Amino acid sequence: MLSRSAERIYWLARYIERTENIARLVNVHMNLLMDLPKDVEMGWKQLILINSSDQIFYEKYNVANEKNITRFLLADDTYAGSLFSSLTAARENIRTSRDLLPDEAWEQVNEMYLFAKKNLDTVANRRHRVIFLNEILKGCQRFTGLLSGYMSHNHPYAFIRLGRNMERADMTSRILDLASLLLSESRSDEVRQYETILWMNVLKALNALLMYRQQKHSHVNGDDVLDFLLKNTNLPRSVICCLSEISECIIKLPNNGDLPAKVVELQTYVQAIKTEDTTQAQLRGILDDLQNKIGGLHNEITQNWFLIVSED
Amino acid sequence: MKSIWENYKTDVAYDELMFSEYQSRPVSHQLCRYLDTLKKEDIDKRKAAAELAIMEMGISFTVYSDEGNIDRAWPFDIIPRIIAAKEWRIIEKGLKQRLTALNCFISDVYGEQAFIKAGKMPGEIVNSSKNFRKECVGMKPKHNVWANICGTDLVRDKDGIMYVLEDNLRVPSGVSYMLENRVITKRVFPELFQDIDIQPIDDYPTRLHEMLTSIAPHQNGQVTCAVLTPGIYNSAYFEHAYLAQQMGAQLVEGGDLVVKDDDCVYMKTIQGLEKVDVIYRRIDDDFLDPEVFRKDSTLGVKGLMRAWKAGNVALANAPGAGVADDKVVYAYVPEMIRYFLNEEPILPNVPTYLCSNPDDLEYVLDHLAELVVKPANESGGYGMLVGPHATEKEVASFRDIIKKDPRNYIAQPTLSISTAPTLCKSKLEPRHIDLRPFILQGQDTFVTAGGLTRVALKKGSLVVNSSQGGGSKDTWIINMGDK
Repeated sequence: MLSRSAERIYWLARYIERTENIARLVNVHMNLLMDLPKDVEMGWKQLILINSSDQIFYEKYNVANEKNITRFLLADDTYAGSLFSSLTAARENIRTSRDLLPDEAWEQVNEMYLFAKKNLDTVANRRHRVIFLNEILKGCQRFTGLLSGYMSHNHPYAFIRLGRNMERADMTSRILDLASLLLSESRSDEVRQYETILWMNVLKALNALLMYRQQKHSHVNGDDVLDFLLKNTNLPRSVICCLSEISECIIKLPNNGDLPAKVVELQTYVQAIKTEDTTQAQLRGILDDLQNKIGGLHNEITQNWFLIVSED
Repeated sequence: MKSIWENYKTDVAYDELMFSEYQSRPVSHQLCRYLDTLKKEDIDKRKAAAELAIMEMGISFTVYSDEGNIDRAWPFDIIPRIIAAKEWRIIEKGLKQRLTALNCFISDVYGEQAFIKAGKMPGEIVNSSKNFRKECVGMKPKHNVWANICGTDLVRDKDGIMYVLEDNLRVPSGVSYMLENRVITKRVFPELFQDIDIQPIDDYPTRLHEMLTSIAPHQNGQVTCAVLTPGIYNSAYFEHAYLAQQMGAQLVEGGDLVVKDDDCVYMKTIQGLEKVDVIYRRIDDDFLDPEVFRKDSTLGVKGLMRAWKAGNVALANAPGAGVADDKVVYAYVPEMIRYFLNEEPILPNVPTYLCSNPDDLEYVLDHLAELVVKPANESGGYGMLVGPHATEKEVASFRDIIKKDPRNYIAQPTLSISTAPTLCKSKLEPRHIDLRPFILQGQDTFVTAGGLTRVALKKGSLVVNSSQGGGSKDTWIINMGDK
């Protein structure tokens, strides 16, 4: 498999996963706000703090209200982190990797892109936004599903799973970051009342509420959720689960060098994270550190497989 | 209810499907009977379905002037063009004959030049051709075949005869559209495939792969084939990716390949460097190897010619094959057939005036307003003059251009190229068409059943090139119980 193709496919999977994650995040946040009383000091602004895009946002928009933020996050093609930009990048990557993937995969991404492009303006309206986000979520699921049904478990497939799980691990850590941010910044008694709702929404954002209930049999509380989302070995979106998929892919791929050892190191690090009685500040520190480590692993993957320099 | 055939004119040219507004030709009886059962709204629905399929399948063709638009949907007309199998068998034979002769000629040009020595063609034509590559002299590609993939353009004139308009021996494109057009037609008119005996075309990628394998430098073990594309911004990128995918070959860009000291070609993979045996290159000679041809080329591979000459990699088409893809050389193809094969040409050429020949030049300059003038080496319909459609000013300025560089121009009588019914705003209207079959030659020779029919969508226009606003149709070769 060509290094260039491997890189494109890896990014394809990352961008599709990112598209899905943004859709889920906005969806869940919208639901959360509907549940909270109007005077609670929690709003749309938190969504742009999660991936530190507030600076870019304020260069383009004046007010951090629902209309501007959803437009920025979903439809703004001049912001590289928006849903539409991610989807466009995914399409560009699959358009240039069609020789490796089933036709249906390309058609699926292309259809989803055409749908998004046509309906970008509708996201300002809540009702239409719900429909829009649902379509996108379904589209991403169909893509993942058809690859798992149609593709051989070959090297390209390993790079797809690798990209997907790198993005997933990163997103899970960012969502936990968001939750800790919400709690630390506005820990008035009033918000405290709604803490459970907040954690439930965090679980929902990662499609983990049902699994959590089945597993924990307890009422939803911060420490348990954190532990669950970082370390549960059965939940597809937990950080440790993503890491074990990443590890499987890396082991399957040729010339993996010291990458397997690096992943083990990262797994050990996550398992050692203390989730009980951590202060919000400590938690934020841990999550920052985790994100940096995931970023480091990404750089190593790039170095190892994508940048083959010819020796002439 | 008004018929979709209302006012259908068949007096402009030979119409492939119709004798007149009311009478279909035998090849199209079944199709026309079927179309008559559809209401106008039904036809519009089928057209919309085809357009949706094209959008979703992402079939695209870039036109350079569309800024910022990497891909745009490929205009497709849902009404197929039909040819009887009985006629096709003769055309197929003619195409094989022609490519065989052309390959003999190219071998001869880079070898003994017996054709020229026998006085069949002035040597000057080869020496002044910009597609003659002196680096290729003495080379002997496998099976003595230089042009492995050829797209020959055919047109039918008013007399009903199919003429060869040109042979594309460099990097002919369009075959993926031929294949995709069939896929769409099957989706849009599945009923028709039940009743009409239409020859299948989807074995092309398999045949292409077989041909490429047959020219590999070694025949032991597995052959690694790659399709070399100029990259994602090239207008035919879709086709490169499509063919690579269908053949299970690697799609590579220049930057993915490297030629090492052992004069072998390798591609950069996640496993390190891997040897490549056959390259189906979709890059012009000029850009192939900066070591030999254009120094500023970033699309090619340094040392590729070295590897080819050492016999370590096969290139299809071989470098230098374009010497026969020249509109002046074209005029001599019938003579090549007689000389090399000792046969009479099955498919006729269009009469051609060579401006390099003083008598011809005089005639051409006197009759510019009735002729089609083409540069000898351009493709894609650029830089040509269609006399009857040009203004006096255009004719005058072309006269100066030709006088300055007569070797580079040829002229042909303006053919009244055939038409076929094409859907225009819920009605059928005649539009001019041509046909590009694809011929593969390696160990064996193969011709596609039909080819890509291109259609000039603008009323009255004779220019069918996709880069100039043309579209395409599915092409059916049908058996009519006359096997």
